[in-house]
Amino acid sequence: MTDLLLAYQSLFAFVGINALLALSVYATLACGQLSLANAGFMAIGAYTGALLTFHAKGLPFVAVLAAAALAPAIVAVPLGLPVLRLRGVFLAIATVGFGEVVRLFFVNWDFTNGALGLVAIPQRTRLWTIVLALAVALYVLGRLRGSRTGYALEAIREDETAARTMGIYTTGHKMAMLVLGAALAGLAGGLEAHFTFMVAPGGYRFERVVDWLVQAVVGGTTVFYGPVIGAAFLTVLPEILREAGARLGLAPGPFRMFLNGAILLAVILYLPNGLVSLPARLRRRARGAA
Amino acid sequence: MGQQLLNGIFLGSIYALFAVGYTLVFGVLDILNLAHQAVFMLAAFVALALVADAHLSFWVALPLAVVAGGLIGVLLERIAFRPLRGRADSNISGLISSLAMATVFEAIALQFFGPDISRFPQDTFPDRVIRIGDATASLLQVLIVGIAVVLMAVLTLLLARTRLGRQIRAVAESPRAARILGVNVDRAIAMAFFLSSALGGAAGVLFGLAFNSISPDVGRGVELKGLAVIILGGMGSIPGAVIAGFALGIIEVFTVAQIGSSFRDVVSFAVLFLVLIARPRGLLGRAAAREA
Amino acid sequence: MTAAPRWSLPLLLLLASAACKDQGSQAPAPGSGGGSTAASGGGGAVIGAALSLTGAAASYGAQQRAGINAAVEDVAAGGGPKLTLVIEDDASTKEQGITVFQKFINRDKVSAILGPTLSNTASAADPLAQQAQVPVLGISNTAATGITDIGNYIWRDSLTEAQVIPGAFKKAQEKLKFKSAGVLYGNDDVFTKAGYDVMQKALADLGVKVLGTQTFAKPDRDYNAQLTALIGQKPDVLVVSALADNASAIVSQARQRGWTGPILGGNGFNSPAFIKNAGAAADGVMVGTSWNSLSQDAANQKFLAAMKKAGVNPDQFSAQAYTGVLILAEAIKQSGGKTGREDINAGLAKVKDLETPLGKFSFTQGRDAQHEPSVQQVKDGKFQIVQ
Repeated sequence: MTDLLLAYQSLFAFVGINALLALSVYATLACGQLSLANAGFMAIGAYTGALLTFHAKGLPFVAVLAAAALAPAIVAVPLGLPVLRLRGVFLAIATVGFGEVVRLFFVNWDFTNGALGLVAIPQRTRLWTIVLALAVALYVLGRLRGSRTGYALEAIREDETAARTMGIYTTGHKMAMLVLGAALAGLAGGLEAHFTFMVAPGGYRFERVVDWLVQAVVGGTTVFYGPVIGAAFLTVLPEILREAGARLGLAPGPFRMFLNGAILLAVILYLPNGLVSLPARLRRRARGAA
Repeated sequence: MGQQLLNGIFLGSIYALFAVGYTLVFGVLDILNLAHQAVFMLAAFVALALVADAHLSFWVALPLAVVAGGLIGVLLERIAFRPLRGRADSNISGLISSLAMATVFEAIALQFFGPDISRFPQDTFPDRVIRIGDATASLLQVLIVGIAVVLMAVLTLLLARTRLGRQIRAVAESPRAARILGVNVDRAIAMAFFLSSALGGAAGVLFGLAFNSISPDVGRGVELKGLAVIILGGMGSIPGAVIAGFALGIIEVFTVAQIGSSFRDVVSFAVLFLVLIARPRGLLGRAAAREA
Repeated sequence: MTAAPRWSLPLLLLLASAACKDQGSQAPAPGSGGGSTAASGGGGAVIGAALSLTGAAASYGAQQRAGINAAVEDVAAGGGPKLTLVIEDDASTKEQGITVFQKFINRDKVSAILGPTLSNTASAADPLAQQAQVPVLGISNTAATGITDIGNYIWRDSLTEAQVIPGAFKKAQEKLKFKSAGVLYGNDDVFTKAGYDVMQKALADLGVKVLGTQTFAKPDRDYNAQLTALIGQKPDVLVVSALADNASAIVSQARQRGWTGPILGGNGFNSPAFIKNAGAAADGVMVGTSWNSLSQDAANQKFLAAMKKAGVNPDQFSAQAYTGVLILAEAIKQSGGKTGREDINAGLAKVKDLETPLGKFSFTQGRDAQHEPSVQQVKDGKFQIVQ
């Protein structure tokens, strides 16, 4: 049994890290903005953390993580000012552009060895560090519900123009969520850097942000813990498929990728409010309602 | 200098052809079809199979592959987009379902064709070089630009002059009004996807021929550039996509020539950024928000 | 609102199962389900292979799998130890690499691990094996540092570019007598960037003036802008650090842009796929390689025959993977047939002048690969040795 736990301990860690990242995407989704810059924010946090660990040897891990969360949060402000004016898909694309520029910056920066990245980072992250960080994130987001800020965010999400007419300071709220999302992504980046021993620009491509967006949406963005469920499901799914494939005698390869896509499609088509809506739906179906 | 300009036009023609399909679907459905690059890739493989395995001439394989691309697009619309119509969050869920389909398509290509890069057989196209001033262009390159321009012109004419084109434009303007006026909205949208994916497929075949590279992940490199092009050109505007495609190709090439290749993508995204900040509707996009 | 057509999803799944035909040989079932020891009785050993079978490095992983499978068969047929193979896909990401390593170490209880394909994944996953004291033999990690430095359980049979390029460039200059160069390299990939760093130094050491340097990204397919810029400066030679996928297109496009001069490449060019895709444009290209495909040594001929039988084009990746299995078998032999993790690790240290497709193979003090690299040139559509 302990062997099983040992075999999958890193999987739990990745679930936790992905959950933080899915929540970081959810932060902006909660007020109706689709921001896909988080891979860039994560990269900034990861490199900040790694560089501090290498060059400021006495610094306690908590401080390193705080810096990892703070650096992208600071960058988010000048990014947000011009970009938050954009609507919908335009905002998404602008933020994608930002994320790519960050990645390219690290690819070209000789100080961090460009594509080779930084290796041999001591493993300072433990499973409980991740759980703690996740708990804090959930607490913060959970407190927003039912609070005035929470209602304001929902109002902005529903209809931004109406919300502004009602006197809600929409720009401020959107900026706050962008910064919060950046901080979460940076924190996750710092945690991951000190868990996987290395950072490299190749790990912060556009595809990763899409993964977290998918995790958030599949989990369900109507509640604050939905993204965590989505992250858990989609992080564990490839491993379940790996096991299933091995038992069925299938050679490892594209079939797993295929199933991943097919399952994602199924969820988005048949469970529009995400996995969190599954229990309610099953209950309704059991009761025979249409 | 002249050579680089030619390089830019050549690259730009493929960007433009790819982006036109992208922007057509966005104009009609307000959805970003992230599976467009997968159709781009699949059509290239279809053409490759027809030429390399079935030994058909390239001139037969190209239209067949283009039609195949169109049909894949229709299938895509049916499976991934139609069920989502009417949903409040259809932009995001459309994004995700198209993404899921892209993954599925790539997995299928991986399974059938393997991960390695393939190219069209050596004798698919004569290896002739044309001199234009003191620059050289291969016959192939000239032809690709020509085909791309012709296809884009055909699409523009189709949309402007034919009944189908009017129906598509009506649906793009307002599906509800279109339905009231008797347009078969489902069919119009399916046709829009056919056209969009046919062009995307054509871009894929030409790309594979131009750069000797066909692989299951070939679409990924073009995907983000395609986004930059449709933003620059204006979402939903086909002439915009054409102009922006050529413009981006030329900008990229001159960035490499004058500044250095490490900055090429940075410049593309910087341009994207500036356009979004200064003029979000792009060069030729419509200013008004789309009606329900 | 139209409901999703009910048949769409089952159709997809049907397509899936129909499409699911085996590509290459299947991995045999893992030797143990959990809770038992590494050796699966009768002198055999469980070996884990972490390969990138999907994702960015999928083409290399596929080649490696072919090489490993062939070698396991050949070793068994030649009376060597029975090796039970567990192959897993790390999807070219460090996360899955880590998960796969942990599965190998704690569930499959492997005696040794081959791989992972990418250097980046190795720097993330190898430390786990080092902590758990499980030997890892890298078969394609070429980053100069950060691999074998991790610890005494990490080995590799892949020569770094630093061990191949300087000698190759020196020989090339003797033959071609070039004084200036234009350089093109992939700056977003560890393999090609590490290669470039070495090439830059080698050129400087030879007193060659670099007239221009251009970069490309791995997904790029159009190199016309960079090539036009480099060729415009009229260097004596074009130096390229690229993997096979990009290399063939680069060389083709260079010729199309009118470049008739010599082209120098690194390890990444060393693949029949390069010649196949580049066609006539490949003629004259000179490469420094760590696998001499033309070697008449028995070990290499055996490898080529096995690849031919499997219907796979032999290349550097499959050669190094095949050699990896041979090395592990030798390590077991050197430890007197014992297959525990410590035994294999100790046995690896004793591997000396082993006959492999790569030549006579030994490890350096730092557990890196050591064997004779070679310089080859493409003539008439085939690689030929440059003396």
